[in-house]
Amino acid sequence: MTLTKRTYSCAPTMTDDDVIWFCRNGYWILEGVVPDEINRRAMDYLDDHPISEPSEILEEDWFVENVICNPAAAGAVRSLLGDNFTLPVLMSNHRGTAPRHPQDWHRDGGSRYGPEVNYLQVFYYPQDVPPEMGPTELLPGSHFLYQREKHMAHYDAIKGSVLTAAPAGSIFLTSYNIWHRRGARTAPTGIRNLLKYNYWRTEDPKRDWIQEPDFDIEFADFVVDTLRHSELMRDCVDAAEMYFWLCGKSEEFQYLGGQGWPGDIPENKATPEAIERTRYRHRYGVPGDMTDRGNKRAARIW
Amino acid sequence: MKDLRQMVRQCIDELREGRLTEERLRELEDAVGAERPRRWDLLYLQAAKTSEVSDVVGMRMIRDGEVVYPLPPPEEWPYKTVLEAINDGWRVVKFPELSLLMDEGRTYGLSCEFILERRATA
Repeated sequence: MTLTKRTYSCAPTMTDDDVIWFCRNGYWILEGVVPDEINRRAMDYLDDHPISEPSEILEEDWFVENVICNPAAAGAVRSLLGDNFTLPVLMSNHRGTAPRHPQDWHRDGGSRYGPEVNYLQVFYYPQDVPPEMGPTELLPGSHFLYQREKHMAHYDAIKGSVLTAAPAGSIFLTSYNIWHRRGARTAPTGIRNLLKYNYWRTEDPKRDWIQEPDFDIEFADFVVDTLRHSELMRDCVDAAEMYFWLCGKSEEFQYLGGQGWPGDIPENKATPEAIERTRYRHRYGVPGDMTDRGNKRAARIW
Repeated sequence: MKDLRQMVRQCIDELREGRLTEERLRELEDAVGAERPRRWDLLYLQAAKTSEVSDVVGMRMIRDGEVVYPLPPPEEWPYKTVLEAINDGWRVVKFPELSLLMDEGRTYGLSCEFILERRATA
Protein backbone atom coordinates (compact mmCIF):
# COMPACT_ATOMS: atom_id res chain seq x y z
CA MET A 1 0.00 0.00 0.00
CA THR A 2 1.30 3.47 -0.83
CA LEU A 3 0.43 6.14 1.63
CA THR A 4 0.02 9.58 0.24
CA LYS A 5 -0.42 12.77 2.17
CA ARG A 6 -3.97 13.79 1.48
CA THR A 7 -5.54 17.05 2.52
CA TYR A 8 -9.16 18.01 2.62
CA SER A 9 -11.05 21.23 2.19
CA CYS A 10 -14.63 21.90 3.27
CA ALA A 11 -16.78 24.49 4.95
CA PRO A 12 -16.55 24.95 8.73
CA THR A 13 -19.60 24.02 10.80
CA MET A 14 -18.72 25.34 14.25
CA THR A 15 -19.51 28.80 15.58
CA ASP A 16 -17.52 30.94 18.01
CA ASP A 17 -19.52 29.52 20.91
CA ASP A 18 -18.93 25.97 19.66
CA VAL A 19 -15.19 26.56 19.37
CA ILE A 20 -15.09 28.01 22.89
CA TRP A 21 -17.07 25.00 24.14
CA PHE A 22 -14.35 22.77 22.70
CA CYS A 23 -11.63 24.96 24.21
CA ARG A 24 -13.03 24.72 27.72
CA ASN A 25 -14.11 21.05 27.68
CA GLY A 26 -11.59 19.51 25.31
CA TYR A 27 -13.99 17.47 23.19
CA TRP A 28 -16.93 17.75 20.79
CA ILE A 29 -19.53 15.03 20.20
CA LEU A 30 -21.53 14.51 17.01
CA GLU A 31 -24.19 11.88 17.64
CA GLY A 32 -25.35 9.52 14.92
CA VAL A 33 -23.92 11.48 11.99
CA VAL A 34 -22.81 8.44 9.95
CA PRO A 35 -25.60 6.65 8.02
CA ASP A 36 -26.71 3.24 9.31
CA GLU A 37 -25.74 1.52 6.08
CA ILE A 38 -22.16 2.73 6.46
CA ASN A 39 -22.08 1.68 10.12
CA ARG A 40 -23.15 -1.82 9.16
CA ARG A 41 -20.56 -1.95 6.41
CA ALA A 42 -17.89 -0.78 8.82
CA MET A 43 -18.90 -3.47 11.33
CA ASP A 44 -18.69 -6.15 8.63
CA TYR A 45 -15.26 -4.86 7.65
CA LEU A 46 -14.03 -4.89 11.26
CA ASP A 47 -15.38 -8.41 11.83
CA ASP A 48 -13.39 -9.49 8.78
CA HIS A 49 -10.32 -7.58 9.99
CA PRO A 50 -10.33 -8.03 13.79
CA ILE A 51 -6.94 -6.38 14.26
CA SER A 52 -5.82 -3.42 16.33
CA GLU A 53 -4.72 -1.30 13.34
CA PRO A 54 -7.02 -1.88 10.34
CA SER A 55 -5.50 1.07 8.48
CA GLU A 56 -6.42 -0.40 5.09
CA ILE A 57 -9.96 0.78 5.74
CA LEU A 58 -8.61 4.24 4.91
CA GLU A 59 -8.26 3.06 1.30
CA GLU A 60 -11.98 2.27 1.07
CA ASP A 61 -13.81 5.05 -0.73
CA TRP A 62 -17.13 4.40 1.01
CA PHE A 63 -15.41 4.76 4.39
CA VAL A 64 -13.41 7.86 3.53
CA GLU A 65 -16.41 9.60 2.03
CA ASN A 66 -18.89 8.81 4.82
CA VAL A 67 -16.74 8.65 7.93
CA ILE A 68 -13.40 10.41 7.44
CA CYS A 69 -14.90 13.16 5.28
CA ASN A 70 -18.34 12.98 6.87
CA PRO A 71 -19.79 16.48 6.42
CA ALA A 72 -20.56 17.05 10.10
CA ALA A 73 -17.26 15.63 11.37
CA ALA A 74 -15.05 17.14 8.69
CA GLY A 75 -16.79 20.48 9.17
CA ALA A 76 -15.93 20.40 12.85
CA VAL A 77 -12.35 19.35 12.11
CA ARG A 78 -12.14 22.15 9.54
CA SER A 79 -13.34 24.62 12.18
CA LEU A 80 -10.62 23.66 14.64
CA LEU A 81 -7.72 22.83 12.32
CA GLY A 82 -8.32 25.27 9.49
CA ASP A 83 -8.70 24.49 5.82
CA ASN A 84 -6.71 21.83 3.97
CA PHE A 85 -6.21 19.63 7.01
CA THR A 86 -4.60 16.26 6.45
CA LEU A 87 -6.62 13.08 6.40
CA PRO A 88 -5.69 10.22 8.73
CA VAL A 89 -3.07 7.67 7.69
CA LEU A 90 -3.32 5.41 10.73
CA MET A 91 -6.45 3.71 12.03
CA SER A 92 -6.69 2.01 15.41
CA ASN A 93 -9.56 -0.15 16.54
CA HIS A 94 -10.05 -0.49 20.29
CA ARG A 95 -11.99 -3.71 19.94
CA GLY A 96 -12.73 -5.85 22.95
CA THR A 97 -15.18 -8.13 24.64
CA ALA A 98 -17.46 -7.66 27.61
CA PRO A 99 -17.39 -7.94 30.56
CA ARG A 100 -14.21 -6.08 31.43
CA HIS A 101 -12.90 -3.70 34.09
CA PRO A 102 -12.37 -0.07 33.17
CA GLN A 103 -9.03 0.90 31.73
CA ASP A 104 -6.61 3.10 33.67
CA TRP A 105 -7.02 6.81 33.15
CA HIS A 106 -4.38 8.05 30.74
CA ARG A 107 -3.49 10.54 28.09
CA ASP A 108 -2.01 9.17 24.92
CA GLY A 109 1.69 9.06 24.24
CA GLY A 110 3.01 12.22 22.62
CA SER A 111 0.67 14.50 24.53
CA ARG A 112 1.84 18.08 24.95
CA TYR A 113 0.07 20.54 27.19
CA GLY A 114 -0.59 24.05 25.95
CA PRO A 115 -2.97 26.17 23.91
CA GLU A 116 -1.99 24.92 20.46
CA VAL A 117 -4.40 22.73 18.48
CA ASN A 118 -2.29 21.27 15.68
CA TYR A 119 -4.04 17.91 15.53
CA LEU A 120 -7.18 16.23 16.77
CA GLN A 121 -7.78 12.75 18.06
CA VAL A 122 -11.09 11.53 16.69
CA PHE A 123 -13.21 8.51 17.64
CA TYR A 124 -15.97 6.79 15.68
CA TYR A 125 -18.49 4.26 17.01
CA PRO A 126 -19.80 2.07 14.17
CA GLN A 127 -22.22 0.45 16.64
CA ASP A 128 -24.46 1.48 19.51
CA VAL A 129 -22.34 1.90 22.63
CA PRO A 130 -24.57 2.15 25.71
CA PRO A 131 -22.98 2.65 29.15
CA GLU A 132 -22.73 -1.10 29.82
CA MET A 133 -20.57 -1.60 26.72
CA GLY A 134 -17.75 0.56 28.07
CA PRO A 135 -17.86 3.79 26.10
CA THR A 136 -14.81 6.01 26.38
CA GLU A 137 -14.89 8.06 29.55
CA LEU A 138 -13.54 11.60 29.33
CA LEU A 139 -12.67 14.14 31.98
CA PRO A 140 -13.84 17.53 30.64
CA GLY A 141 -11.23 20.23 31.01
CA SER A 142 -8.42 17.75 31.69
CA HIS A 143 -6.59 18.77 28.54
CA PHE A 144 -5.18 21.49 30.81
CA LEU A 145 -4.70 19.27 33.85
CA TYR A 146 -1.01 18.54 34.07
CA GLN A 147 -0.12 14.98 35.01
CA ARG A 148 2.25 12.33 33.83
CA GLU A 149 0.52 9.37 32.29
CA LYS A 150 2.30 6.91 34.56
CA HIS A 151 1.08 8.81 37.61
CA MET A 152 -2.59 8.61 36.68
CA ALA A 153 -3.17 4.86 36.89
CA HIS A 154 -4.37 4.91 40.50
CA TYR A 155 -7.26 7.26 39.72
CA ASP A 156 -10.61 5.56 39.32
CA ALA A 157 -14.01 7.15 39.77
CA ILE A 158 -13.79 10.89 39.12
CA LYS A 159 -16.61 13.31 39.73
CA GLY A 160 -17.47 15.28 36.59
CA SER A 161 -16.25 12.67 34.12
CA VAL A 162 -18.54 11.91 31.18
CA LEU A 163 -19.28 8.64 29.41
CA THR A 164 -19.46 9.01 25.65
CA ALA A 165 -22.34 6.55 25.41
CA ALA A 166 -23.80 7.16 21.98
CA PRO A 167 -25.72 5.57 19.12
CA ALA A 168 -24.05 3.96 16.13
CA GLY A 169 -22.55 6.47 13.75
CA SER A 170 -21.37 8.87 16.45
CA ILE A 171 -18.06 10.67 16.10
CA PHE A 172 -16.29 12.67 18.76
CA LEU A 173 -13.35 14.98 18.44
CA THR A 174 -10.91 15.40 21.30
CA SER A 175 -7.98 17.52 22.28
CA TYR A 176 -5.16 14.99 21.98
CA ASN A 177 -4.06 15.19 25.60
CA ILE A 178 -7.46 14.94 27.28
CA TRP A 179 -7.61 12.37 30.11
CA HIS A 180 -9.62 9.36 29.01
CA ARG A 181 -10.14 5.63 29.55
CA ARG A 182 -12.30 2.80 28.36
CA GLY A 183 -15.27 2.62 30.71
CA ALA A 184 -16.24 -0.56 32.52
CA ARG A 185 -17.97 -3.08 30.28
CA THR A 186 -20.60 -4.51 32.59
CA ALA A 187 -22.61 -6.30 29.89
CA PRO A 188 -22.27 -10.09 30.19
CA THR A 189 -21.25 -10.52 26.54
CA GLY A 190 -20.60 -8.54 23.41
CA ILE A 191 -17.86 -6.88 21.39
CA ARG A 192 -17.25 -3.16 21.22
CA ASN A 193 -15.44 -1.52 18.31
CA LEU A 194 -14.06 2.00 18.55
CA LEU A 195 -12.08 3.46 15.70
CA LYS A 196 -9.49 6.13 16.51
CA TYR A 197 -7.60 8.35 14.09
CA ASN A 198 -5.93 11.77 13.83
CA TYR A 199 -6.21 14.81 11.59
CA TRP A 200 -3.44 17.42 11.34
CA ARG A 201 -3.37 21.13 10.68
CA THR A 202 -1.51 22.47 7.64
CA GLU A 203 -2.43 26.15 7.79
CA ASP A 204 -1.79 28.87 10.34
CA PRO A 205 -4.63 29.32 12.80
CA LYS A 206 -7.18 32.04 12.14
CA ARG A 207 -10.76 32.79 13.03
CA ASP A 208 -12.35 31.42 9.90
CA TRP A 209 -15.09 29.28 11.38
CA ILE A 210 -18.71 30.52 11.46
CA GLN A 211 -18.65 33.94 13.08
CA GLU A 212 -21.66 34.94 15.11
CA PRO A 213 -22.61 38.58 14.66
CA ASP A 214 -23.52 39.03 18.31
CA PHE A 215 -20.48 37.19 19.65
CA ASP A 216 -18.84 39.09 22.48
CA ILE A 217 -15.42 37.90 23.66
CA GLU A 218 -15.77 39.95 26.84
CA PHE A 219 -18.77 37.92 27.90
CA ALA A 220 -17.77 34.52 26.51
CA ASP A 221 -18.18 31.62 28.92
CA PHE A 222 -14.87 29.83 29.43
CA VAL A 223 -15.88 27.80 32.51
CA VAL A 224 -15.65 24.01 32.06
CA ASP A 225 -19.13 22.49 31.89
CA THR A 226 -18.76 19.80 34.55
CA LEU A 227 -16.78 19.84 37.79
CA ARG A 228 -13.78 22.19 37.82
CA HIS A 229 -10.65 20.33 38.88
CA SER A 230 -8.21 23.13 38.20
CA GLU A 231 -7.35 26.10 40.37
CA LEU A 232 -10.29 28.51 40.43
CA MET A 233 -10.52 30.51 37.16
CA ARG A 234 -7.47 28.75 35.75
CA ASP A 235 -9.77 26.76 33.45
CA CYS A 236 -11.08 30.04 32.02
CA VAL A 237 -7.59 31.36 31.40
CA ASP A 238 -6.42 28.18 29.67
CA ALA A 239 -9.53 27.95 27.50
CA ALA A 240 -9.32 31.63 26.56
CA GLU A 241 -5.66 31.26 25.65
CA MET A 242 -6.51 28.29 23.42
CA TYR A 243 -9.26 30.32 21.76
CA PHE A 244 -6.83 33.16 21.09
CA TRP A 245 -4.34 30.70 19.63
CA LEU A 246 -7.02 29.30 17.33
CA CYS A 247 -7.84 32.84 16.24
CA GLY A 248 -4.18 33.39 15.38
CA LYS A 249 -4.01 36.04 18.11
CA SER A 250 -1.69 34.35 20.57
CA GLU A 251 0.59 37.33 20.90
CA GLU A 252 -2.30 39.52 21.94
CA PHE A 253 -3.48 37.19 24.67
CA GLN A 254 -2.99 38.37 28.23
CA TYR A 255 -4.22 37.49 31.66
CA LEU A 256 -4.05 40.18 34.30
CA GLY A 257 -5.82 38.24 37.05
CA GLY A 258 -8.16 39.75 39.59
CA GLN A 259 -11.88 39.80 38.94
CA GLY A 260 -11.61 40.66 35.29
CA TRP A 261 -11.58 38.72 32.04
CA PRO A 262 -11.78 35.80 31.43
CA GLY A 263 -13.11 34.94 34.86
CA ASP A 264 -16.35 33.35 35.90
CA ILE A 265 -19.72 34.42 34.65
CA PRO A 266 -21.78 34.95 37.80
CA GLU A 267 -24.96 33.01 38.26
CA ASN A 268 -26.94 36.08 39.18
CA LYS A 269 -27.94 37.67 35.92
CA ALA A 270 -31.45 38.41 37.10
CA THR A 271 -31.51 42.10 36.35
CA PRO A 272 -30.29 44.12 33.38
CA GLU A 273 -28.18 46.14 35.83
CA ALA A 274 -26.44 42.99 37.06
CA ILE A 275 -25.73 41.91 33.50
CA GLU A 276 -24.36 45.32 32.63
CA ARG A 277 -22.15 45.32 35.73
CA THR A 278 -20.82 41.90 34.78
CA ARG A 279 -20.10 43.10 31.27
CA TYR A 280 -18.08 45.99 32.64
CA ARG A 281 -16.20 43.81 35.07
CA HIS A 282 -15.44 41.34 32.33
CA ARG A 283 -14.15 44.07 30.06
CA TYR A 284 -11.28 44.68 32.46
CA GLY A 285 -8.28 42.76 31.29
CA VAL A 286 -9.58 41.97 27.81
CA PRO A 287 -6.82 42.54 25.28
CA GLY A 288 -7.34 45.97 23.77
CA ASP A 289 -9.26 47.37 26.75
CA MET A 290 -8.09 50.50 28.62
CA THR A 291 -6.84 48.19 31.36
CA ASP A 292 -4.67 46.31 28.87
CA ARG A 293 -1.07 46.27 30.09
CA GLY A 294 0.59 44.88 27.01
CA ASN A 295 -1.48 45.80 23.98
CA LYS A 296 -2.58 49.35 24.65
CA ARG A 297 -2.01 50.37 21.06
CA ALA A 298 -3.47 47.22 19.59
CA ALA A 299 -6.72 47.66 17.78
CA ARG A 300 -9.72 46.04 19.36
CA ILE A 301 -9.74 42.58 17.90
CA TRP A 302 -13.44 41.96 18.39
CA MET B 1 -8.81 -21.48 61.93
CA LYS B 2 -9.59 -21.48 65.61
CA ASP B 3 -10.13 -18.11 67.21
CA LEU B 4 -6.87 -17.29 69.02
CA ARG B 5 -8.52 -15.28 71.76
CA GLN B 6 -10.81 -18.18 72.50
CA MET B 7 -7.87 -20.61 72.64
CA VAL B 8 -5.98 -18.33 75.05
CA ARG B 9 -9.07 -18.03 77.26
CA GLN B 10 -9.39 -21.82 77.33
CA CYS B 11 -5.71 -22.13 78.30
CA ILE B 12 -6.23 -19.68 81.16
CA ASP B 13 -9.21 -21.69 82.38
CA GLU B 14 -7.20 -24.90 82.15
CA LEU B 15 -4.31 -23.25 84.03
CA ARG B 16 -6.62 -22.19 86.84
CA GLU B 17 -8.03 -25.66 87.01
CA GLY B 18 -4.56 -27.26 86.93
CA ARG B 19 -5.27 -29.02 83.63
CA LEU B 20 -2.97 -27.02 81.36
CA THR B 21 -0.42 -29.22 79.58
CA GLU B 22 2.63 -28.63 77.42
CA GLU B 23 0.78 -30.27 74.55
CA ARG B 24 -2.00 -27.70 74.89
CA LEU B 25 0.49 -24.82 74.81
CA ARG B 26 2.15 -26.35 71.71
CA GLU B 27 -1.27 -26.30 70.04
CA LEU B 28 -1.58 -22.63 70.85
CA GLU B 29 1.93 -21.98 69.51
CA ASP B 30 1.03 -23.72 66.21
CA ALA B 31 -2.15 -21.71 65.92
CA VAL B 32 -0.27 -18.43 66.40
CA GLY B 33 2.27 -19.42 63.76
CA ALA B 34 -0.40 -20.44 61.30
CA GLU B 35 -2.37 -17.22 61.54
CA ARG B 36 -2.15 -15.28 58.30
CA PRO B 37 -1.58 -11.58 58.68
CA ARG B 38 -4.81 -9.71 58.00
CA ARG B 39 -4.80 -7.56 54.91
CA TRP B 40 -5.13 -3.81 54.79
CA ASP B 41 -7.79 -2.13 52.74
CA LEU B 42 -6.73 1.01 50.90
CA LEU B 43 -8.77 4.07 50.05
CA TYR B 44 -7.60 6.83 47.73
CA LEU B 45 -9.63 9.98 48.09
CA GLN B 46 -9.04 13.01 45.92
CA ALA B 47 -10.56 16.04 47.64
CA ALA B 48 -11.27 19.42 46.09
CA LYS B 49 -9.12 21.13 48.73
CA THR B 50 -6.67 20.10 51.43
CA SER B 51 -9.28 20.30 54.18
CA GLU B 52 -10.59 17.03 55.59
CA VAL B 53 -14.14 18.36 55.18
CA SER B 54 -13.64 19.33 51.55
CA ASP B 55 -15.72 17.50 48.94
CA VAL B 56 -14.35 14.21 47.66
CA VAL B 57 -14.04 14.42 43.85
CA GLY B 58 -12.28 11.15 43.12
CA MET B 59 -12.14 7.71 44.70
CA ARG B 60 -10.47 4.35 44.37
CA MET B 61 -10.90 1.50 46.83
CA ILE B 62 -8.99 -1.73 47.42
CA ARG B 63 -10.94 -4.09 49.65
CA ASP B 64 -10.07 -7.62 50.73
CA GLY B 65 -7.14 -7.69 48.35
CA GLU B 66 -9.00 -6.55 45.25
CA VAL B 67 -9.73 -3.28 43.50
CA VAL B 68 -13.43 -2.51 43.80
CA TYR B 69 -14.92 -2.27 40.28
CA PRO B 70 -17.03 -0.53 39.41
CA LEU B 71 -17.53 2.07 42.12
CA PRO B 72 -21.04 3.50 42.34
CA PRO B 73 -21.80 6.91 40.82
CA PRO B 74 -20.54 9.89 42.86
CA GLU B 75 -23.89 10.56 44.53
CA GLU B 76 -23.70 7.07 46.03
CA TRP B 77 -20.07 7.11 47.15
CA PRO B 78 -19.71 5.94 50.75
CA TYR B 79 -17.88 9.09 51.80
CA LYS B 80 -18.52 12.67 50.75
CA THR B 81 -15.52 14.00 52.68
CA VAL B 82 -12.26 12.64 54.02
CA LEU B 83 -13.53 13.21 57.55
CA GLU B 84 -16.47 10.87 56.94
CA ALA B 85 -13.98 8.17 56.00
CA ILE B 86 -11.89 8.86 59.11
CA ASN B 87 -15.00 8.57 61.25
CA ASP B 88 -15.67 5.20 59.66
CA GLY B 89 -12.35 3.83 60.87
CA TRP B 90 -9.99 4.78 58.05
CA ARG B 91 -6.56 6.14 59.00
CA VAL B 92 -4.82 8.71 56.83
CA VAL B 93 -1.39 7.45 55.79
CA LYS B 94 -0.60 10.15 53.26
CA PHE B 95 -1.68 13.74 53.02
CA PRO B 96 -1.78 15.82 49.82
CA GLU B 97 1.60 16.70 48.32
CA LEU B 98 1.65 20.45 48.73
CA SER B 99 4.93 20.68 46.86
CA LEU B 100 3.07 19.79 43.68
CA LEU B 101 0.60 22.63 44.02
CA MET B 102 2.93 25.59 44.04
CA ASP B 103 2.91 26.51 40.35
CA GLU B 104 0.43 29.34 39.98
CA GLY B 105 0.11 28.87 36.25
CA ARG B 106 -0.62 25.17 36.16
CA THR B 107 -2.79 22.65 37.95
CA TYR B 108 -1.06 19.35 38.52
CA GLY B 109 -2.90 16.09 38.99
CA LEU B 110 -6.32 15.55 40.39
CA SER B 111 -6.92 17.90 43.29
CA CYS B 112 -5.67 17.00 46.77
CA GLU B 113 -5.02 13.33 47.37
CA PHE B 114 -5.41 11.56 50.69
CA ILE B 115 -4.51 7.89 51.02
CA LEU B 116 -6.13 5.96 53.87
CA GLU B 117 -5.91 2.41 55.22
CA ARG B 118 -8.06 0.18 57.37
CA ARG B 119 -7.80 -3.45 58.49
CA ALA B 120 -9.66 -5.72 56.14
CA THR B 121 -12.69 -7.39 57.63
CA ALA B 122 -11.84 -10.79 56.15
